[in-house]
Amino acid sequence: MRFLAEILLSGLAIGAIYGIIAIGFAVIYKTTGLVNFAQGEIAMIVAYIAWTISTTLSGNVFVVTGGALVAAVLLGLVIERVVMRPMLGEPVFSTVMVTIALAVILRSSINFIWDAYPQALNLGVGRDIVRVGAVGMRTGQIAVIVMLLALLAGFWLFFRYSRYGIAMRAVAGDDRTALLMGISTGRVHAVAWAASAAISGIAGIFFAITYDVSPAMYEIGLKSFPATILGGLDAVIGSGFGGLLIGVAENLAGGYLGSGTKEIAGFAMIIVILMVRPFGLFGQRDIERV
Amino acid sequence: MLRTLIAAGLAAAAFAGGPAAAADQGVTDTEILLGSVIPLTGPPALLGVAHTTGVKVAIAEANAAGGVNGRKIRLIMDDDGYIGARTIQATRKLIDVDKVFAIPGQSGSGQVLAAMPVLDKSGIPTIASVGPVKGMYEPPHKNIFAVGSSYEEGIRVLVRFLAEKNPGKTWGLITQDDDYGVAVRDGFDDVVKEKKLNVVYSASYKRGQQDFSSEMARLKDAGVEVFLAGGIISENVAMVKELEKLAIKPVVGIFWPGRVEAVLKLMGPASDGIYAVDYVEPFASPAGQAFLEKAKGLVSEAEFKSINRYTMAGYAGARVLIAAMTRCGRDLTWACTNREIEATKDLETGVMAPMSFGPNVRFTNSKLQVMQADFATLSYKPVK
Repeated sequence: MRFLAEILLSGLAIGAIYGIIAIGFAVIYKTTGLVNFAQGEIAMIVAYIAWTISTTLSGNVFVVTGGALVAAVLLGLVIERVVMRPMLGEPVFSTVMVTIALAVILRSSINFIWDAYPQALNLGVGRDIVRVGAVGMRTGQIAVIVMLLALLAGFWLFFRYSRYGIAMRAVAGDDRTALLMGISTGRVHAVAWAASAAISGIAGIFFAITYDVSPAMYEIGLKSFPATILGGLDAVIGSGFGGLLIGVAENLAGGYLGSGTKEIAGFAMIIVILMVRPFGLFGQRDIERV
Repeated sequence: MLRTLIAAGLAAAAFAGGPAAAADQGVTDTEILLGSVIPLTGPPALLGVAHTTGVKVAIAEANAAGGVNGRKIRLIMDDDGYIGARTIQATRKLIDVDKVFAIPGQSGSGQVLAAMPVLDKSGIPTIASVGPVKGMYEPPHKNIFAVGSSYEEGIRVLVRFLAEKNPGKTWGLITQDDDYGVAVRDGFDDVVKEKKLNVVYSASYKRGQQDFSSEMARLKDAGVEVFLAGGIISENVAMVKELEKLAIKPVVGIFWPGRVEAVLKLMGPASDGIYAVDYVEPFASPAGQAFLEKAKGLVSEAEFKSINRYTMAGYAGARVLIAAMTRCGRDLTWACTNREIEATKDLETGVMAPMSFGPNVRFTNSKLQVMQADFATLSYKPVK
């Protein structure tokens, strides 16, 4: 029982990180119809910015996270304005290739700006171990699960009740009609990129607190991608749950079947799920008039 | 008059730095050009940048002493990102386009093996001092010399030491799913057979994995008392932190690719007492301190900050090459340099045991020592 509890809780914690990044994937896809393959790299860059603030300006958790999230929003806006907006109207394949190129550039920038050493993001919180009986968890792991649930609730409310949320759904549904209704699609795209960068940044910071910042950190983006496919590329809330499912499935496979199965568990899961629901667990069926 | 001027001009050009008459490519009357293919970007830059700093220390030291028979050494580097295909491409470029005289440090084990046909065919003197593996020196190649110790032997020494110190205990092992992991596993299995160790948990992980919660939970469940963490940097950090979370304290051994002092800080107090094995001196030893003192005056502040164990490996390899080139005198050729590297006998560098090569011996097979982490000083100390 203890073993199962350890496996499940660790799975939920890493799954929450996948889930938050998966939300970032879904926010961009929902509003722009694009898969941003630089999502993990953005999380890594924001984590490095947080580490830089913590080692140069202040180690205060609010200063560090606030500063890093402002930087994330700016990064998202710059990427949208400089890199993505010129690609509007271009074939989807070309635009996706641009995000892959962006990922490589961001990945390589780590060594130019920082260095190859892993670094600890020490904010004085998140590294303590809380024990309930024989099962231990770091406070950062508990916090990231709570953060995912808060984001899911926040996005549900945002898309349902806020004007901007409804505008984003309208652009996702049909950007031309939305434009005719007076919605600035350009602005919606910019907000989506900024929000997505900030969301990934949150995941990056939590990851860095629990583990470390390192140039290999971008790989969490690759692990999060199955989560958004599983939840549904256009399903923001579903993507978050997808992350939890992938995290738990990976850990159960690693714990009971052997570590070799851990890496493939998430992908095996999406193959099975997509056979039954090709648009993901929570995604919407795409209907086209022919 | 015109002819005289042209002749005088050509003669002046020859003396001012043109190719030396009886020397191979990359050598002028005033300079020797060396080139390294090394990872300078991505996570493996941790070893590539540090290794290059070691080569630079050796070059700066030689240049400060007047160079190699009056010629100053200059180093150029090419980044392969630790990808074999890029190592091959960059090696070709160094030899055919940049026309370097020798290679004082080539990328990791798999990358050197990938570039072996290019190196072998060209005959360029090459030192492989990042990660020596058997394929580099068995069968011996005329111009390729490996500095260090083999992964298998390193693991054997560490596991034997831990087995003797912890008789009758249960063992666990995790390795990476690549050539490095295979070498670690092979060395481990040798001692398991030899000492009849009781291995209760064994697993491998995919390179780049960052979460080891399920692996460590299984390790705990299996009751492992001595654990060989076969990761490199981040992986070992994640494993040790996970052990701390699970409130278990097995005896932990790590291998030299991950024996970087900065890692102890990342692991935190849980790193205290971890055992490691290496063929280069720990920085906490008098030899390590002397090397740091020397390096401080020879490289930039940024380069000094990059120093880790790979710096010593790079330094030792470059010293072998420089000593051989020096013995060749002014007529510096590949043939002579390869011959003189082969003739290296008990070369003292201060950072590892004296190095020797010989006829058909292309590997220093350097002496290993076990060391233990001290979290209080963030250093490794030799175990007596």
